[in-house]
Amino acid sequence: MIPFRLTFQPGVALYEQVVYAARKAVISGQMRPGDPFPSVRTLSKALKINPNTAHKVITHLINEGLLEVRPGTGTVVAQPARSTAAERARLLDGDLERLVVAARKLGLKEDDVVDALRDHWTKLGPAEGATRK
Amino acid sequence: MSEDPIRISGLTKKFRWTPVLKGLDLAVPRGALFALVGPNGVGKTTTIKILMNILRPTSGGAEILGIDSHRLAGRDFARIGYVSENQELPDWMTVDYLLSYLRPFYPAWDADLAAQLVSQFNLPGNRKLKHLSRGMRMKAALASSLAYRPELVVLDEPFTGLDPLARDEFIEGLLERSENTTIFISSHDLADIETFASHIAYLDDGRIQFSEELVALSDRFREIEITFDAAPPLPADWPAAWLHPESSAALIRFTDSRYEEERTMAEIRARFPDARNVTATPLPLRTIFVTVAKKAKRAVAA
Repeated sequence: MIPFRLTFQPGVALYEQVVYAARKAVISGQMRPGDPFPSVRTLSKALKINPNTAHKVITHLINEGLLEVRPGTGTVVAQPARSTAAERARLLDGDLERLVVAARKLGLKEDDVVDALRDHWTKLGPAEGATRK
Repeated sequence: MSEDPIRISGLTKKFRWTPVLKGLDLAVPRGALFALVGPNGVGKTTTIKILMNILRPTSGGAEILGIDSHRLAGRDFARIGYVSENQELPDWMTVDYLLSYLRPFYPAWDADLAAQLVSQFNLPGNRKLKHLSRGMRMKAALASSLAYRPELVVLDEPFTGLDPLARDEFIEGLLERSENTTIFISSHDLADIETFASHIAYLDDGRIQFSEELVALSDRFREIEITFDAAPPLPADWPAAWLHPESSAALIRFTDSRYEEERTMAEIRARFPDARNVTATPLPLRTIFVTVAKKAKRAVAA
Protein backbone atom coordinates (compact mmCIF):
# COMPACT_ATOMS: atom_id res chain seq x y z
CA MET A 1 0.00 0.00 0.00
CA ILE A 2 1.30 3.44 -0.85
CA PRO A 3 -0.39 6.59 0.38
CA PHE A 4 -1.41 7.98 -3.01
CA ARG A 5 -3.23 6.78 -6.06
CA LEU A 6 -1.94 6.82 -9.58
CA THR A 7 -3.25 5.60 -12.90
CA PHE A 8 -0.64 6.08 -15.58
CA GLN A 9 -1.66 8.33 -18.44
CA PRO A 10 -0.08 7.62 -21.77
CA GLY A 11 1.58 10.68 -23.26
CA VAL A 12 3.04 12.14 -20.07
CA ALA A 13 6.54 11.36 -18.77
CA LEU A 14 6.19 8.51 -16.29
CA TYR A 15 8.48 9.98 -13.68
CA GLU A 16 6.65 13.32 -13.80
CA GLN A 17 3.38 11.53 -13.12
CA VAL A 18 4.69 9.87 -9.98
CA VAL A 19 6.25 13.14 -8.74
CA TYR A 20 2.95 14.92 -9.39
CA ALA A 21 0.87 12.28 -7.59
CA ALA A 22 3.14 12.41 -4.54
CA ARG A 23 3.17 16.21 -4.49
CA LYS A 24 -0.62 16.27 -4.71
CA ALA A 25 -0.94 13.79 -1.84
CA VAL A 26 1.20 16.03 0.38
CA ILE A 27 -0.47 19.28 -0.61
CA SER A 28 -3.96 17.86 -0.16
CA GLY A 29 -3.04 16.51 3.28
CA GLN A 30 -3.25 12.81 2.40
CA MET A 31 0.29 12.70 3.75
CA ARG A 32 1.30 14.99 6.59
CA PRO A 33 4.69 16.28 7.74
CA GLY A 34 6.56 13.48 9.50
CA ASP A 35 4.64 10.71 7.73
CA PRO A 36 6.94 8.04 6.30
CA PHE A 37 7.25 8.06 2.52
CA PRO A 38 7.46 4.69 0.71
CA SER A 39 10.96 3.34 0.05
CA VAL A 40 12.39 2.81 -3.44
CA ARG A 41 11.51 -0.85 -3.13
CA THR A 42 7.93 -0.30 -1.98
CA LEU A 43 7.28 2.35 -4.61
CA SER A 44 8.76 0.18 -7.35
CA LYS A 45 6.70 -2.81 -6.30
CA ALA A 46 3.42 -0.95 -5.78
CA LEU A 47 3.55 0.99 -9.05
CA LYS A 48 5.40 -1.71 -11.06
CA ILE A 49 8.05 0.77 -12.04
CA ASN A 50 11.78 0.29 -12.33
CA PRO A 51 13.65 0.92 -9.05
CA ASN A 52 15.80 3.49 -10.94
CA THR A 53 12.68 5.52 -11.69
CA ALA A 54 11.44 5.19 -8.10
CA HIS A 55 14.85 6.32 -6.87
CA LYS A 56 14.79 9.32 -9.18
CA VAL A 57 11.32 10.31 -7.97
CA ILE A 58 12.38 10.24 -4.33
CA THR A 59 15.61 12.15 -5.01
CA HIS A 60 13.62 14.78 -6.89
CA LEU A 61 11.11 15.19 -4.04
CA ILE A 62 13.96 15.50 -1.53
CA ASN A 63 15.64 18.19 -3.65
CA GLU A 64 12.32 19.94 -3.98
CA GLY A 65 12.09 20.03 -0.18
CA LEU A 66 8.90 18.00 -0.04
CA LEU A 67 10.61 15.01 1.61
CA GLU A 68 13.52 14.76 4.00
CA VAL A 69 15.78 11.93 5.05
CA ARG A 70 15.69 11.07 8.75
CA PRO A 71 18.55 8.82 9.81
CA GLY A 72 17.12 5.58 11.16
CA THR A 73 13.57 6.25 9.98
CA GLY A 74 14.02 6.69 6.25
CA THR A 75 12.33 9.27 4.10
CA VAL A 76 9.50 11.31 5.61
CA VAL A 77 7.29 14.17 4.46
CA ALA A 78 9.11 17.40 5.32
CA GLN A 79 7.82 20.40 7.25
CA PRO A 80 6.88 23.03 4.67
CA ALA A 81 9.72 25.51 4.20
CA ARG A 82 9.41 28.93 5.83
CA SER A 83 9.41 31.00 2.68
CA THR A 84 7.45 34.13 1.90
CA ALA A 85 4.18 33.85 0.03
CA ALA A 86 5.73 35.84 -2.81
CA GLU A 87 8.62 33.38 -3.11
CA ARG A 88 6.24 30.49 -3.22
CA ALA A 89 3.94 32.19 -5.72
CA ARG A 90 6.88 32.70 -8.09
CA LEU A 91 7.21 28.91 -8.37
CA LEU A 92 3.85 28.90 -10.11
CA ASP A 93 4.56 31.68 -12.60
CA GLY A 94 5.23 29.42 -15.57
CA ASP A 95 2.23 27.20 -14.84
CA LEU A 96 -0.07 30.20 -14.50
CA GLU A 97 1.11 31.70 -17.75
CA ARG A 98 0.53 28.41 -19.54
CA LEU A 99 -2.95 28.19 -18.02
CA VAL A 100 -3.85 31.70 -19.18
CA VAL A 101 -2.51 31.05 -22.68
CA ALA A 102 -4.46 27.77 -22.92
CA ALA A 103 -7.64 29.42 -21.61
CA ARG A 104 -7.40 32.27 -24.12
CA LYS A 105 -6.80 29.83 -26.96
CA LEU A 106 -10.04 28.11 -25.94
CA GLY A 107 -11.85 31.45 -25.83
CA LEU A 108 -12.67 31.19 -22.10
CA LYS A 109 -13.51 34.26 -19.99
CA GLU A 110 -11.40 35.26 -16.99
CA ASP A 111 -14.38 34.45 -14.72
CA ASP A 112 -14.71 30.93 -16.15
CA VAL A 113 -11.08 30.23 -15.33
CA VAL A 114 -11.32 31.72 -11.83
CA ASP A 115 -14.45 29.65 -11.14
CA ALA A 116 -12.81 26.45 -12.36
CA LEU A 117 -9.73 27.27 -10.27
CA ARG A 118 -11.89 27.82 -7.17
CA ASP A 119 -13.61 24.46 -7.77
CA HIS A 120 -10.28 22.63 -7.79
CA TRP A 121 -9.11 24.62 -4.77
CA THR A 122 -12.15 23.51 -2.76
CA LYS A 123 -11.92 19.91 -3.94
CA LEU A 124 -8.47 19.50 -2.38
CA GLY A 125 -9.76 20.52 1.08
CA PRO A 126 -8.50 23.24 3.43
CA ALA A 127 -5.03 24.52 2.55
CA GLU A 128 -2.29 23.98 5.13
CA GLY A 129 -0.41 27.11 4.16
CA ALA A 130 -3.45 29.41 4.42
CA THR A 131 -3.12 29.79 8.19
CA ARG A 132 0.35 31.31 8.16
CA LYS A 133 -0.11 33.99 5.56
CA MET B 1 32.17 -11.82 -12.87
CA SER B 2 32.23 -8.25 -14.07
CA GLU B 3 31.73 -8.90 -17.77
CA ASP B 4 28.45 -7.95 -19.43
CA PRO B 5 26.10 -10.95 -19.39
CA ILE B 6 25.27 -10.37 -23.06
CA ARG B 7 27.72 -9.02 -25.60
CA ILE B 8 26.85 -9.02 -29.29
CA SER B 9 29.26 -7.81 -31.93
CA GLY B 10 28.95 -7.53 -35.68
CA LEU B 11 26.16 -10.09 -35.71
CA THR B 12 24.63 -10.87 -39.10
CA LYS B 13 22.07 -13.45 -40.08
CA LYS B 14 20.76 -14.30 -43.53
CA PHE B 15 17.89 -16.64 -44.25
CA ARG B 16 18.78 -17.92 -47.73
CA TRP B 17 19.49 -14.61 -49.46
CA THR B 18 17.47 -12.39 -47.16
CA PRO B 19 19.59 -10.49 -44.64
CA VAL B 20 17.72 -10.08 -41.34
CA LEU B 21 20.52 -8.90 -39.06
CA LYS B 22 23.07 -6.64 -40.71
CA GLY B 23 25.75 -6.08 -38.12
CA LEU B 24 24.18 -5.90 -34.71
CA ASP B 25 26.19 -4.62 -31.75
CA LEU B 26 24.83 -4.63 -28.23
CA ALA B 27 26.04 -4.86 -24.64
CA VAL B 28 23.67 -5.68 -21.80
CA PRO B 29 25.16 -4.66 -18.44
CA ARG B 30 24.86 -6.87 -15.36
CA GLY B 31 21.71 -6.25 -13.32
CA ALA B 32 19.90 -4.44 -16.12
CA LEU B 33 16.26 -4.94 -16.94
CA PHE B 34 17.00 -4.51 -20.59
CA ALA B 35 14.31 -4.15 -23.26
CA LEU B 36 14.94 -4.83 -26.93
CA VAL B 37 12.21 -2.97 -28.80
CA GLY B 38 11.42 -2.87 -32.51
CA PRO B 39 8.62 -3.43 -35.02
CA ASN B 40 7.44 -6.95 -35.77
CA GLY B 41 9.66 -8.89 -38.15
CA VAL B 42 12.92 -6.95 -37.64
CA GLY B 43 14.79 -9.88 -36.10
CA LYS B 44 14.23 -9.68 -32.34
CA THR B 45 13.33 -13.36 -32.11
CA THR B 46 16.16 -14.27 -34.50
CA THR B 47 18.59 -12.39 -32.25
CA ILE B 48 17.32 -14.18 -29.16
CA LYS B 49 17.44 -17.58 -30.88
CA ILE B 50 21.08 -16.93 -31.76
CA LEU B 51 21.77 -15.94 -28.15
CA MET B 52 20.17 -19.20 -26.98
CA ASN B 53 22.16 -21.28 -29.51
CA ILE B 54 19.00 -22.31 -31.38
CA LEU B 55 20.19 -20.58 -34.56
CA ARG B 56 23.70 -20.08 -35.89
CA PRO B 57 24.86 -16.60 -36.88
CA THR B 58 25.93 -16.00 -40.49
CA SER B 59 28.84 -13.90 -39.23
CA GLY B 60 29.83 -12.09 -36.07
CA GLY B 61 28.72 -13.50 -32.76
CA ALA B 62 27.53 -13.17 -29.22
CA GLU B 63 28.85 -13.99 -25.79
CA ILE B 64 26.44 -15.09 -23.10
CA LEU B 65 27.81 -15.06 -19.55
CA GLY B 66 31.25 -14.98 -21.14
CA ILE B 67 30.61 -18.02 -23.36
CA ASP B 68 30.42 -17.99 -27.15
CA SER B 69 26.70 -18.48 -27.88
CA HIS B 70 27.29 -21.41 -30.22
CA ARG B 71 29.18 -23.23 -27.47
CA LEU B 72 26.36 -22.92 -24.93
CA ALA B 73 25.59 -26.38 -23.54
CA GLY B 74 23.38 -28.05 -20.95
CA ARG B 75 25.13 -26.92 -17.80
CA ASP B 76 25.28 -23.32 -19.05
CA PHE B 77 21.51 -23.31 -19.45
CA ALA B 78 21.22 -24.00 -15.72
CA ARG B 79 22.39 -20.38 -15.31
CA ILE B 80 19.98 -18.97 -17.90
CA GLY B 81 16.20 -18.73 -17.83
CA TYR B 82 14.51 -18.58 -21.23
CA VAL B 83 10.84 -18.08 -22.02
CA SER B 84 9.66 -17.58 -25.58
CA GLU B 85 6.43 -16.15 -26.91
CA ASN B 86 5.10 -19.52 -27.98
CA GLN B 87 6.66 -21.47 -25.17
CA GLU B 88 6.17 -25.19 -25.68
CA LEU B 89 5.25 -26.94 -22.46
CA PRO B 90 4.51 -30.59 -21.82
CA ASP B 91 0.74 -30.17 -21.90
CA TRP B 92 -0.11 -33.35 -20.02
CA MET B 93 1.80 -32.29 -16.90
CA THR B 94 0.24 -30.33 -14.06
CA VAL B 95 1.98 -27.15 -12.88
CA ASP B 96 3.30 -28.90 -9.75
CA TYR B 97 4.43 -31.91 -11.77
CA LEU B 98 6.30 -29.68 -14.24
CA LEU B 99 8.19 -28.02 -11.40
CA SER B 100 9.17 -31.27 -9.70
CA TYR B 101 10.06 -32.76 -13.09
CA LEU B 102 12.46 -29.88 -13.83
CA ARG B 103 14.03 -29.83 -10.39
CA PRO B 104 16.75 -32.52 -10.88
CA PHE B 105 18.01 -30.77 -14.02
CA TYR B 106 19.05 -27.70 -12.06
CA PRO B 107 21.60 -27.94 -9.23
CA ALA B 108 20.51 -24.54 -7.87
CA TRP B 109 16.76 -25.33 -7.93
CA ASP B 110 15.03 -23.68 -4.96
CA ALA B 111 11.84 -25.57 -4.10
CA ASP B 112 10.72 -22.91 -1.63
CA LEU B 113 11.08 -20.24 -4.28
CA ALA B 114 9.18 -22.41 -6.77
CA ALA B 115 6.30 -22.79 -4.30
CA GLN B 116 6.37 -19.07 -3.56
CA LEU B 117 6.20 -18.25 -7.29
CA VAL B 118 3.25 -20.60 -7.79
CA SER B 119 1.29 -18.83 -5.07
CA GLN B 120 2.46 -15.33 -6.07
CA PHE B 121 1.37 -15.98 -9.67
CA ASN B 122 -1.93 -17.52 -8.51
CA LEU B 123 -1.19 -20.70 -10.45
CA PRO B 124 -3.42 -23.74 -9.89
CA GLY B 125 -0.75 -26.31 -9.01
CA ASN B 126 -2.88 -29.37 -9.77
CA ARG B 127 -4.23 -28.23 -13.14
CA LYS B 128 -2.81 -29.62 -16.36
CA LEU B 129 -0.86 -27.16 -18.50
CA LYS B 130 -3.14 -27.74 -21.48
CA HIS B 131 -6.04 -26.38 -19.44
CA LEU B 132 -4.30 -23.14 -18.56
CA SER B 133 -5.03 -19.76 -20.15
CA ARG B 134 -2.28 -18.10 -22.13
CA GLY B 135 -1.43 -15.79 -19.22
CA MET B 136 -1.19 -18.70 -16.82
CA ARG B 137 1.02 -20.68 -19.19
CA MET B 138 3.39 -17.75 -19.48
CA LYS B 139 3.45 -17.38 -15.70
CA ALA B 140 4.08 -21.13 -15.30
CA ALA B 141 6.93 -20.89 -17.82
CA LEU B 142 8.36 -17.89 -15.97
CA ALA B 143 8.06 -19.59 -12.56
CA SER B 144 9.90 -22.65 -13.90
CA SER B 145 12.64 -20.36 -15.30
CA LEU B 146 13.11 -18.34 -12.11
CA ALA B 147 13.08 -21.20 -9.57
CA TYR B 148 16.75 -22.05 -10.16
CA ARG B 149 17.83 -18.43 -9.62
CA PRO B 150 19.42 -17.96 -13.04
CA GLU B 151 21.97 -15.17 -13.54
CA LEU B 152 20.32 -14.20 -16.80
CA VAL B 153 16.66 -14.35 -17.83
CA VAL B 154 15.79 -14.00 -21.53
CA LEU B 155 12.15 -13.39 -22.44
CA ASP B 156 10.91 -13.22 -26.02
CA GLU B 157 7.70 -11.13 -26.34
CA PRO B 158 6.34 -12.35 -23.01
CA PHE B 159 3.43 -9.88 -22.87
CA THR B 160 1.65 -10.73 -26.11
CA GLY B 161 -1.92 -11.69 -25.24
CA LEU B 162 -1.54 -11.39 -21.47
CA ASP B 163 -4.51 -9.94 -19.59
CA PRO B 164 -3.69 -6.90 -17.40
CA LEU B 165 -3.70 -8.84 -14.15
CA ALA B 166 -1.38 -11.59 -15.43
CA ARG B 167 0.83 -8.86 -16.88
CA ASP B 168 1.06 -7.09 -13.51
CA GLU B 169 1.92 -10.32 -11.70
CA PHE B 170 4.49 -11.16 -14.35
CA ILE B 171 6.17 -7.75 -14.05
CA GLU B 172 6.11 -7.88 -10.27
CA GLY B 173 7.83 -11.28 -10.41
CA LEU B 174 10.53 -9.77 -12.61
CA LEU B 175 11.04 -6.58 -10.61
CA GLU B 176 11.46 -8.56 -7.41
CA ARG B 177 14.37 -10.44 -8.94
CA SER B 178 15.84 -7.57 -10.90
CA GLU B 179 18.42 -6.75 -8.23
CA ASN B 180 20.34 -10.02 -8.56
CA THR B 181 19.42 -11.01 -12.09
CA THR B 182 20.03 -9.59 -15.53
CA ILE B 183 16.79 -9.60 -17.49
CA PHE B 184 16.61 -9.28 -21.27
CA ILE B 185 13.12 -8.80 -22.77
CA SER B 186 12.04 -8.31 -26.36
CA SER B 187 8.85 -6.47 -27.22
CA HIS B 188 7.26 -4.87 -30.26
CA ASP B 189 5.37 -2.44 -28.04
CA LEU B 190 7.11 0.31 -26.13
CA ALA B 191 4.09 0.70 -23.82
CA ASP B 192 4.63 -2.87 -22.60
CA ILE B 193 8.02 -2.19 -21.12
CA GLU B 194 8.43 1.57 -20.63
CA THR B 195 7.30 1.61 -17.01
CA PHE B 196 9.72 -0.96 -15.66
CA ALA B 197 12.73 -1.35 -17.97
CA SER B 198 16.06 0.16 -16.90
CA HIS B 199 17.64 0.13 -20.38
CA ILE B 200 16.21 0.19 -23.84
CA ALA B 201 17.61 -0.64 -27.27
CA TYR B 202 15.81 -0.08 -30.54
CA LEU B 203 16.28 -2.64 -33.32
CA ASP B 204 15.28 -1.75 -36.84
CA ASP B 205 16.65 -2.42 -40.31
CA GLY B 206 18.94 -5.16 -38.99
CA ARG B 207 20.84 -2.93 -36.59
CA ILE B 208 20.59 -1.41 -33.12
CA GLN B 209 19.52 2.18 -33.80
CA PHE B 210 20.18 3.29 -30.25
CA SER B 211 20.75 1.78 -26.85
CA GLU B 212 20.50 3.78 -23.66
CA GLU B 213 19.59 3.85 -20.01
CA LEU B 214 15.94 4.86 -19.76
CA VAL B 215 16.38 7.49 -17.05
CA ALA B 216 19.21 9.12 -19.01
CA LEU B 217 17.11 9.09 -22.16
CA SER B 218 14.15 10.84 -20.57
CA ASP B 219 16.46 13.25 -18.72
CA ARG B 220 18.15 14.59 -21.81
CA PHE B 221 14.99 15.40 -23.77
CA ARG B 222 12.87 18.49 -23.12
CA GLU B 223 10.41 20.44 -25.17
CA ILE B 224 11.56 24.03 -24.92
CA GLU B 225 9.16 26.93 -25.41
CA ILE B 226 10.49 30.47 -25.49
CA THR B 227 7.99 33.32 -25.48
CA PHE B 228 8.74 36.82 -26.78
CA ASP B 229 6.94 40.10 -27.29
CA ALA B 230 7.96 39.55 -30.90
CA ALA B 231 9.87 36.40 -31.80
CA PRO B 232 13.17 36.95 -33.69
CA PRO B 233 14.20 34.78 -36.69
CA LEU B 234 16.04 31.57 -35.77
CA PRO B 235 19.73 32.39 -35.25
CA ALA B 236 22.34 31.05 -37.69
CA ASP B 237 24.28 29.23 -34.94
CA TRP B 238 21.34 26.91 -34.16
CA PRO B 239 22.69 23.94 -32.15
CA ALA B 240 22.43 20.53 -33.84
CA ALA B 241 20.92 19.05 -30.67
CA TRP B 242 17.90 21.37 -30.91
CA LEU B 243 15.53 19.38 -33.06
CA HIS B 244 12.38 20.32 -34.98
CA PRO B 245 12.33 24.11 -34.42
CA GLU B 246 8.99 25.84 -35.00
CA SER B 247 8.19 29.49 -34.56
CA SER B 248 5.22 31.80 -34.55
CA ALA B 249 4.79 35.53 -33.90
CA ALA B 250 5.55 35.30 -30.19
CA LEU B 251 6.89 31.81 -29.66
CA ILE B 252 9.81 29.56 -30.58
CA ARG B 253 9.50 25.87 -29.80
CA PHE B 254 11.97 22.99 -30.27
CA THR B 255 13.04 19.64 -28.79
CA ASP B 256 16.37 19.74 -26.98
CA SER B 257 18.06 16.34 -27.22
CA ARG B 258 21.00 17.26 -24.94
CA TYR B 259 19.16 19.02 -22.15
CA GLU B 260 21.06 20.05 -19.04
CA GLU B 261 19.22 22.75 -17.17
CA GLU B 262 22.04 25.23 -16.60
CA ARG B 263 23.83 24.79 -19.90
CA THR B 264 20.63 24.82 -21.96
CA MET B 265 19.33 27.92 -20.22
CA ALA B 266 22.68 29.70 -20.74
CA GLU B 267 22.64 28.79 -24.43
CA ILE B 268 19.10 30.12 -24.75
CA ARG B 269 19.94 33.38 -22.97
CA ALA B 270 22.97 33.85 -25.22
CA ARG B 271 20.91 33.45 -28.37
CA PHE B 272 17.69 35.11 -27.22
CA PRO B 273 18.44 38.03 -24.91
CA ASP B 274 14.86 39.30 -25.44
CA ALA B 275 13.16 36.10 -24.27
CA ARG B 276 10.29 36.84 -21.92
CA ASN B 277 9.82 33.34 -20.54
CA VAL B 278 11.39 29.91 -21.11
CA THR B 279 9.74 26.61 -20.20
CA ALA B 280 11.28 23.14 -20.41
CA THR B 281 8.72 20.32 -20.39
CA PRO B 282 9.65 16.65 -20.05
CA LEU B 283 8.43 14.49 -22.92
CA PRO B 284 6.65 11.15 -22.84
CA LEU B 285 8.90 8.26 -23.78
CA ARG B 286 6.93 7.50 -26.92
CA THR B 287 7.61 10.99 -28.29
CA ILE B 288 11.31 10.74 -27.44
CA PHE B 289 11.44 7.34 -29.04
CA VAL B 290 9.91 8.46 -32.31
CA THR B 291 12.29 11.44 -32.41
CA VAL B 292 15.41 9.37 -31.76
CA ALA B 293 14.39 6.53 -34.05
CA LYS B 294 13.74 8.94 -36.92
CA LYS B 295 17.01 10.70 -36.39
CA ALA B 296 18.95 7.42 -36.21
CA LYS B 297 17.33 6.19 -39.41
CA ARG B 298 18.23 9.38 -41.22
CA ALA B 299 21.83 9.05 -40.01
CA VAL B 300 22.01 5.49 -41.35
CA ALA B 301 20.47 6.53 -44.66
CA ALA B 302 22.88 9.44 -45.07
